[in-house]
Amino acid sequence: MKFISLALKNIVRHKLRSLLTILGVAAGMFLYSAVETMQHSLDRATRTAAAENVLVVYRENRFCPTTSRLPEHYESTIRRIPGVKEVIPIQITVNNCGASLDVIAFRGVPPEALKSYNPQLEVIAGSYDDFTSRSDAALVGEHFASRRGLKPGDTFEAVGVKVQVVGIIRSDSPQDNNVAYVHLPFLQQASRIGLGIVTQFNVKVETPDDLEPVAAAIDETFRSDQQPTNTRPEQAFFAETARQMIELISFTRWLGLGAVLAVLGLLANAILLVVRGRVKETAIFQTLGFNRWHICLLVVIEGLVLGLAGGILGVVAADIFFRWKSFTLGNEGLTLALETSPQVLVNGIGVALLMGALASIYPAWKATSKPLIQSLNA
Amino acid sequence: MTPFIDINQLSKTYQKGKTSVTPLEKLSLSVPKGEFLALMGPSGSGKTTLLNLVAGIDTPTTGQLIIDGQDIAGLSRAALAKWRSRHVGYIFQLYHLVPILSAFENVELPLLLSKMSRRERKAKVESALELVGLAERSGHRPSELSGGQEQRVAIARAIVHNPGLLVADEPTGDLDRESADNILRLLRELSREHEKTIVMVTHDPKAAAAADRCLHLEKGQLVDEPEPATFVA
Repeated sequence: MKFISLALKNIVRHKLRSLLTILGVAAGMFLYSAVETMQHSLDRATRTAAAENVLVVYRENRFCPTTSRLPEHYESTIRRIPGVKEVIPIQITVNNCGASLDVIAFRGVPPEALKSYNPQLEVIAGSYDDFTSRSDAALVGEHFASRRGLKPGDTFEAVGVKVQVVGIIRSDSPQDNNVAYVHLPFLQQASRIGLGIVTQFNVKVETPDDLEPVAAAIDETFRSDQQPTNTRPEQAFFAETARQMIELISFTRWLGLGAVLAVLGLLANAILLVVRGRVKETAIFQTLGFNRWHICLLVVIEGLVLGLAGGILGVVAADIFFRWKSFTLGNEGLTLALETSPQVLVNGIGVALLMGALASIYPAWKATSKPLIQSLNA
Repeated sequence: MTPFIDINQLSKTYQKGKTSVTPLEKLSLSVPKGEFLALMGPSGSGKTTLLNLVAGIDTPTTGQLIIDGQDIAGLSRAALAKWRSRHVGYIFQLYHLVPILSAFENVELPLLLSKMSRRERKAKVESALELVGLAERSGHRPSELSGGQEQRVAIARAIVHNPGLLVADEPTGDLDRESADNILRLLRELSREHEKTIVMVTHDPKAAAAADRCLHLEKGQLVDEPEPATFVA
């Protein structure tokens, strides 16, 4: 404790130098946290969004919601396939099919079927009854609503579709928090796709063991039909749809690594300069009886405190930034809200602390490596 | 009676580039407890080397160096640091206070190595500052003190952990006459009233006159023991 207090005095009483170092560390940790947020958001979206007993039926050889067009009447045929528990036709309309940072996605579903298909949906503002009773009603995902500043009673228009917000929903599935649910017939007409056409069917099966045989049976049923299908487990569907995002985001790992190395270099340089500027002072401490371990401890504590302060500042800034900007990365109708999580924030602070410790080891050793007499005469 | 400092055949040799330098050669010396000893001599005579060896911040090449019954010649670096923290107070010519710390915090530094509570440390620091007459300046940083006051803070730092031995390297070398006299008076008081053994290196005959005994070194050897001039306190 006495040594922490002494190290803190060194930091506090060299305000400008400490502030500049902390700002440098914060900039690096901001970048690191941003990259981690992207990685973590993608991981969460592709893992938790996908249920283990759901199949997605898509038009064969189509990868974008605007080009996957399946007849809505396939629903009754799919229902009759053994192992199928429930089927919901979904029309998806997005403002941008390619990679984008501001994706608006409408999901048209039969209003009466939404709650039974998706029981974990929680209406946190407005009412579900208003959704079923009004044809242009929209239940807007929590994150989408916050990004657009929407509340029940508001109207908004996007992709040529004008809707009335009647409720804000929250779900365990990140996908649901980023979309607006509307009535299927309304979206079919508003988006000019036409009645009777949907983008996909989501099919719940009795048990995970049914996934493969049911998928094969569905594709076999429509193989010779006008619109052949490609049926995959939801997890595989997400993984494939998110492929481009994964590639893009995988690249950012290098940015994260670069940011961490930059923090390490900056801290090591700052502490080395501090140690070099304090050769005589260190020698005085040694003359007073401080041993090598005491001196190293003082230097390492200083590195840890600088790393910790910069780390906290950087991750808090990243958290505020992502909350403020509410980025939603999207590709082929799959949306990904970039949100910081407690794990990312804790990791960021942990990495900053580790960098603080690593960066001070060499300077700490260097501080006491010279013979005492030589340091006193420096 | 056993001397407080007992030096036998002490030599120090070090390498300076390709040359071997021996600032001290087979020096023997005894200093009784509570004596105030001055070391004089021209530059390069070995007086600072001797001081550093006695203070345990340098190690001899050969010989015996017994202080208060303990031979410190063979101690490891870590053991020497521990020994210094308990038995030695060092006073530098240029005070060497830590600029970012107040007088109180500077004096407290040696006590951070002990297991004393904050309250005990506070009492000891206040008592040391009181002894050097700077109790009312305890919150001031070195830059806010005069040279004489800085040196008094340095003396308080040297005595706060109650060491038996004080070593002083030109303690008045950077001070005006009046401040120098005050410092010398304080050192004499520490020697006579608090039984501190003091070894002081100086070029100033008046400073040497304040000591109980003055030794002269030349080329690493004691050459004579001139009678010190009278110090008028």
